[in-house]
Amino acid sequence: MIELRNVSFQYGEEDSAENRGALCNISLTIPRGQTVLLCGESGCGKTTITRLINGLVPHFYDGKLTGEVRINGQEIKDQPLYDTAENVGTVFQNPRSQFFNVDTRSELAFSLENRGMKAADIIERVHDTVEEYQMEYLMDRSIFELSGGEKQKIACGCVSAGSPDIFVLDEPSANLDMKSIAQLRTMIEKWKRQGKTIVIAEHRLFYIWELIDRAVYLKNGKIEKDMKPDVFRRLTENQLHDMGLRASTETKHNINHAAFLKSGEPLVFKEFVYGYQKKENVLDIREMLVPEKEITALTGNNGIGKTTFLRCVCGLEKKCKGTMEYEGKVYKRKKRLEEMFLVMQDVNHQLFTESVLEEVLISMKTEDQEKAEKILYDLDLLEYKDRHPISLSGGQKQRVAVATAIASERKILLFDEPTSGLDYHHMLQVAGVLKRLKNMGKTILVVTHDWEFIQAIDAHIMKLDEQTAERRVEINESEKFHTAIV
Amino acid sequence: MSMEKNGSMKLQGRDLMNIGIYAAIYFVIVFAIAMMGYIPVMMPLLCVFVPVIGGIPFMLFLTKVKKFGMIWIMSIIMGIMMLLTGMAHYALIVGLFTGLIAEFVYKSGNYKSQSKAVLTSGIFSMWVWGNFLPLFIDRQNYWSSRQSFGEEYITTLNSLMPSWLCPILLIVAFASGIAGGLLGKALLKKHFRKAGIA
Amino acid sequence: MKTEIVSSTKDRKGIGLDPRTKILLLLMIAVFVLGGAGGSALVWARVLLACVPVGLLFASGRVRTCVIFVSVFVAGCFLQYFLLNKLNGFLNFIVLASAGMLTQFLPGLVMGYYAVSTTTVSEFVAAMERMHVPDQVTIPLSVMFRFFPTVGEEAGNIRDAMSMRGIFFSGKHPGKTLEYCLIPLMTCSVKIGEELSAAALTRGLGAPVKRTNICKIGFGVWDISFFVICAAILAYWIVTMEGNVQI
Repeated sequence: MIELRNVSFQYGEEDSAENRGALCNISLTIPRGQTVLLCGESGCGKTTITRLINGLVPHFYDGKLTGEVRINGQEIKDQPLYDTAENVGTVFQNPRSQFFNVDTRSELAFSLENRGMKAADIIERVHDTVEEYQMEYLMDRSIFELSGGEKQKIACGCVSAGSPDIFVLDEPSANLDMKSIAQLRTMIEKWKRQGKTIVIAEHRLFYIWELIDRAVYLKNGKIEKDMKPDVFRRLTENQLHDMGLRASTETKHNINHAAFLKSGEPLVFKEFVYGYQKKENVLDIREMLVPEKEITALTGNNGIGKTTFLRCVCGLEKKCKGTMEYEGKVYKRKKRLEEMFLVMQDVNHQLFTESVLEEVLISMKTEDQEKAEKILYDLDLLEYKDRHPISLSGGQKQRVAVATAIASERKILLFDEPTSGLDYHHMLQVAGVLKRLKNMGKTILVVTHDWEFIQAIDAHIMKLDEQTAERRVEINESEKFHTAIV
Repeated sequence: MSMEKNGSMKLQGRDLMNIGIYAAIYFVIVFAIAMMGYIPVMMPLLCVFVPVIGGIPFMLFLTKVKKFGMIWIMSIIMGIMMLLTGMAHYALIVGLFTGLIAEFVYKSGNYKSQSKAVLTSGIFSMWVWGNFLPLFIDRQNYWSSRQSFGEEYITTLNSLMPSWLCPILLIVAFASGIAGGLLGKALLKKHFRKAGIA
Repeated sequence: MKTEIVSSTKDRKGIGLDPRTKILLLLMIAVFVLGGAGGSALVWARVLLACVPVGLLFASGRVRTCVIFVSVFVAGCFLQYFLLNKLNGFLNFIVLASAGMLTQFLPGLVMGYYAVSTTTVSEFVAAMERMHVPDQVTIPLSVMFRFFPTVGEEAGNIRDAMSMRGIFFSGKHPGKTLEYCLIPLMTCSVKIGEELSAAALTRGLGAPVKRTNICKIGFGVWDISFFVICAAILAYWIVTMEGNVQI
């Protein structure tokens, strides 16, 4: 039983202008065994509610909290985090940053070890969890070798091993592909059958839409709608989009490929073969054609080398000997590094200076303030030109990275999952940027498994296939994949 | 404000995690700089570079220090890391003392004072000096096992590291730590506050 | 500096030493090889101890690292003994000082590499607990080991981003390169660190109960053999001391 009574919360010191994620007079009672979805646009406060339940607010994130939060009758404010931890288990958004140990087995045991449980009991519990969720193949491995989907599976396993009454999930699917999302769904189903209380904050609705007993829609820190299944299941796609939410069904729209390759000369990628030391090749692409001055989306499941492929394409992987042919010229690795630009998934790695304008200026061959401001203007960034890039929002940072690519006159832009964890409106904003780049005559290659996004950018699609037996990845020839996909 | 801060001054899980995280960042940066030490002429200069550059993550670390013991533990950990990376136990012994003094200095400024923070950075940095001690302590015995290297070699190395350099290096480490503290303080203002992590 | 630094238990080969034995060996190498304790009377011990990491690396299947280590070490010795009086002045000094430093520090470094790359975080924690090291030191240490590969990953990403932007050292503002490297590295690492702390705390880290640890550590035949060798060296050292004050 979770009870929130008249809860208001604001992050940081008093009177801070930052209002993101704040809550305003929330009252919400979740009875035992209910599966509840918290939804709403980014910054609406849904993550904050998950933090109230697991105690991170106020024990980890400082701020001004009023009202009562009770879990099984116990006031969370007066309870240290390690006590709350016995009743509430949390799966977080970022699979990279939720493991304390490096090897997977220790991680499954971690929460039980912290409780001081007997070693023999822990080993048994871990064994049962591994069996129940079929995780043998993940055991005794380093978490640094796992794909995002596998990490998230371990994270779910960790929470299960602790067998709490309440499961809290904060955007667990943000970095996952369709296959991993299906596995995540199976886990949630199991918890639901065990009669656990489940609270999920999520943008992507399709995989849990049939599972939830209740949908709570938040806007600006207030509960705007509290819906029963018969109400929310009747919402149309347009109504969901108006609310800033993603589609409730897996999007399988027909995408028009008629224009493929007729527009001009293709970019030809040859002999992209790449493997980590000693192991077999994870990437084995003999030839691939990409249409110039178009947007091409690259899809495929987690862990089959999409990101590696992008890194090889733009010349970051020194060991990859592939070449690109375009307009009669052959581009080797070093040359590609100068001609292409990869917008990384975590764009924070790509911003170095202390102002947006400087960021653009240092990318230019000869610094030209007027031109730089024009580029910023085109990307709706001019008003932020003196801001520190770190202080911008995620979408703005992404646009600054794009601005640097334009400033350095790159012809080909690569994007690695630019829409992970974005709500509907922010996703459309990214789509808008990509379309603008296309109109500027740039060739764009984007790795994504966000089908709504692919539709919004009207992209050509290529699918990376896995032949599990040989662990080889190949790109189907462009015509074939179209049928292979949907 | 969270209740942990109003509560006991004992170190909590969160504080211990913070020490570990900042120790990792500090150590990676220090380790990268220390690679220069394999060029022998650069070796004494590590007493300058390590504290100056290390001052940046250290000042960021100090913004998280609100309870007694965090700086001292950080210092001990650096000593243990020197031991584990095969640089002997001298830095650990030195760090036990300098870390404790640094702790008291920062505490005297109520874990807030910026000028005390810079001073703390200076004192903390003196652990680096411990790594030079094997080159000074018990020199005669040390060289007795290396007579085969020849008189010239020993004199050249001794001239590179004369005994009087020992206390000077300590002072240099301290002064560089102050410089690093000032640099860190400037960068806090310029970058980290805006990023919301300081 | 990447994923190899903290290991997982899969594919583990060789002699499974207890972490405490590894620490003892590190100390011995630090005192005798690096510190030169015992003078000329203990040259044999120094040679023996310098060979220990070679054997361990070889047994654990890291043959390449092992070969590199041995060849660098031999090259260092070769320079010291054979070029000694063949060069003069500055060159002589540079070569000899480098070689001397190399042979002195290398065994310790390699032993350190072996220790860190063959121990999991929870084995390390278990060893620290058995040695009654307080949690206040053990927890930060284990967090740090856990965090090294993360900082390494971040550094790699930033290096990539810089080479893509073409502002790595060859850039227009060489003086600022260090700032360009350090600021995003620290910002990104600290943010991940915060998420990591939050996750660990929701899993009950820091509860005031005695933590259990499921990984099995303990002394085997190899551990005991190494202890006997170390004890022998120490005993010989004490006997031959002749009242000199040593470290």
